[in-house]
Amino acid sequence: MGNITLKLFGKTLKNPVMNASGTLGYGKEIEPLWGVETLGCYVTKGLSMKPHHGNPLPRIWEERCGMINSIGLQNIGVERFFEEYFPFFKRKKTPIIINFFGFTEDEYIGCAQKIKPDRQIIALEMNLSCPNIKKGGISFGKEADTVYEIVRNVKAVTKIPLLAKLTPEVKNIVEIAVAAYEAGADGLTLINTIPAAVVDVNKRTVPIKGGLSGPVVRSVALRAVYECSKAVPIPVVGVGGIMDTQDAVAFLMAGAHAIQIGTATFIDPYKIPKIIEELREYLDVHGYAGIENIIGITHDQ
Amino acid sequence: MVDTEAQIIENKNVVLDYFLLRLKPAKTMGKIMPGQFVMLKIPGNEVFLRRPFSIYDYDMGILTIMYKVVGKGTELLSKTGKDTLTSVLGPLGNGFHVNQRDAYLTVAGGIGIAGIHFLVKSLKEKASVFFGCSSHIETALLEDIANLNPMVSTLDGSYGYKGNVVEMLKNHLETTENIDREIFVCGPEGMLKNLKTSINKNKISCQALVEERMACGLGLCFGCVKKTIDENEPYKRVCKEGPVFDLWEISL
Repeated sequence: MGNITLKLFGKTLKNPVMNASGTLGYGKEIEPLWGVETLGCYVTKGLSMKPHHGNPLPRIWEERCGMINSIGLQNIGVERFFEEYFPFFKRKKTPIIINFFGFTEDEYIGCAQKIKPDRQIIALEMNLSCPNIKKGGISFGKEADTVYEIVRNVKAVTKIPLLAKLTPEVKNIVEIAVAAYEAGADGLTLINTIPAAVVDVNKRTVPIKGGLSGPVVRSVALRAVYECSKAVPIPVVGVGGIMDTQDAVAFLMAGAHAIQIGTATFIDPYKIPKIIEELREYLDVHGYAGIENIIGITHDQ
Repeated sequence: MVDTEAQIIENKNVVLDYFLLRLKPAKTMGKIMPGQFVMLKIPGNEVFLRRPFSIYDYDMGILTIMYKVVGKGTELLSKTGKDTLTSVLGPLGNGFHVNQRDAYLTVAGGIGIAGIHFLVKSLKEKASVFFGCSSHIETALLEDIANLNPMVSTLDGSYGYKGNVVEMLKNHLETTENIDREIFVCGPEGMLKNLKTSINKNKISCQALVEERMACGLGLCFGCVKKTIDENEPYKRVCKEGPVFDLWEISL
C-alpha cells in the first residue's frame, strides 16, 4: 500500500487530511460516526481568549455550488477547551492544531500565550480574517505590514509552530504569504472563506453576509496554494472546496503538504475517512510510494 | 445513529403543499425518540446540503416524513418519484421527554404536526391533540390520528374553534386547572411566542420542538442555533442540544 504518512513540523502525521477549522465541532460530535483518530490531525474550532457568543441568525445559507456561513466564531474560549476537550484528544492520541483568533493584537498574543506546548499540539493556526477593531474593522490579514507585525509578535510568545491562515480577500496573496513567512510563520493555511452576500429578491433584503465555502471557491484556493507554495519555503496547508479525492490530490500536486476538508463533511459526514482511504488507493493505482512524492509535483513544469 | 441509503416507497401530496414521504432505509434506524429528526439528501444535484426533517413515524422499518414545500429543497423533493434512492442520516438530536404526568397536551401549528405526530402516536389516548391551521382543508393532515379526536382551530373559522390554536388551548387550560400536565408543542415561532406569553403565569411545563436552517445536523458547524435566556450560553445548537427545548429556556 502507498504510504500516506507525512512529516509536518517534525511530527509524523498518519495522513495529510485534516478538518477545516469550525467544521468538526469540538471533535467529539463526530464520534457516533467515526473517530477523530482517523484524521491526520484535528483542527479546533477558532478559539478566543474569552468565550465568544457568535452571530444572530441566519448563520448559514446554501448557494449554487457553495454555502455562506456567518457563525461569527462562537466558541467556549481557549481555557474551557483545554479543560473540557483537550484530554479527549490526549486519550485518543490524536494530533491537534489549535486555531485561534482575536479582535485586537493583544487578544491574539494573549491567546497564543495561554497555549502551552504539548507533544500532541502540531501547530497553532492563527486566523487572520478577523476584523481589527483598532483599524476600524479592516481584517488583520489584508495588509502585508499588519500581517508581518502580528505574526512576528505572536511568534515571539510561543514555541509552538505557527500557521498563518490567510484570507483570499487581498490584492496579492503571494505578497501577504511572503510577509507571514518573513515574520517567522512556520507554515501557511490557504485559504479562508470568501466574503459573500445573499439578496432575498422577494423581501428586498440582504438576509446574510458571511464567508463563502464549497466547490465554488476551489479554484481560487488552488491558485493561492500553487503560487504561495512556490513563493515561500514553508509548508502550506490547502483548504477550500475540496469535495473528493481528486480535489485532494490536486491540492497536494499544487504544493499543499496537507489538506483540510470543510463543507464536504456537511454533505457527507463520512467524506474525510473516505478521502483518506482513497488517497491510499490513488498512490497504489498510480505507482507512487508515498504521498510526499506528489506534493508540489506541478512545480517542476 | 446511521447514515444509510434509503428507497422512496411513496411521496404523495396530502393536501395543498403538504406531502407525506415514506422511505425504506437499507439499515435499521435503531431506537427513535419522538421529536428526533433525520438529515435527508434531496435526490439530484441541484442542492447539496442535506435537509432536516422531523420523524413523523417509524414503523416496521419504514421511515415517514411529512413536509411542506417551502423552498427549493422541498420543492425538488416534492417532484421526486417512487423508487428513487436517497440517503438518510439519523436519528438525530434530543427528542421529547415524557415525564410522568396526569395529562399530556400536544399542540401543533400547521406543518408542526410533522414534529408532534410520532409523540402523539406513542402516547395514544393519553394525548390531547390541539391543532391549529388556516382552514378546514388542512384537517386532512389529521386523518391518521382522527381516532384521538383532535381539537382543531382554524383562522378562517371554517372548522372547529375560530381563531388561533393558542387561544383554544388557553380556554382548555382554564377549564382544567389543578391538573399535573405538560405541553408538547411544535409550530411557527410566532405561535411559540404567543404560547409563552399566554401561559407564562401558570408556569406549565412545556417542551417545544423548534426548527432552523441546518448544514450538518450533527453539531459540527454551529449554524442552527437557538437563542436562549442563559447569558453564559446564549446560543444553543438546535441539532445537538435541541431540537426539543424547554420553552421557558429559549428566547423568542
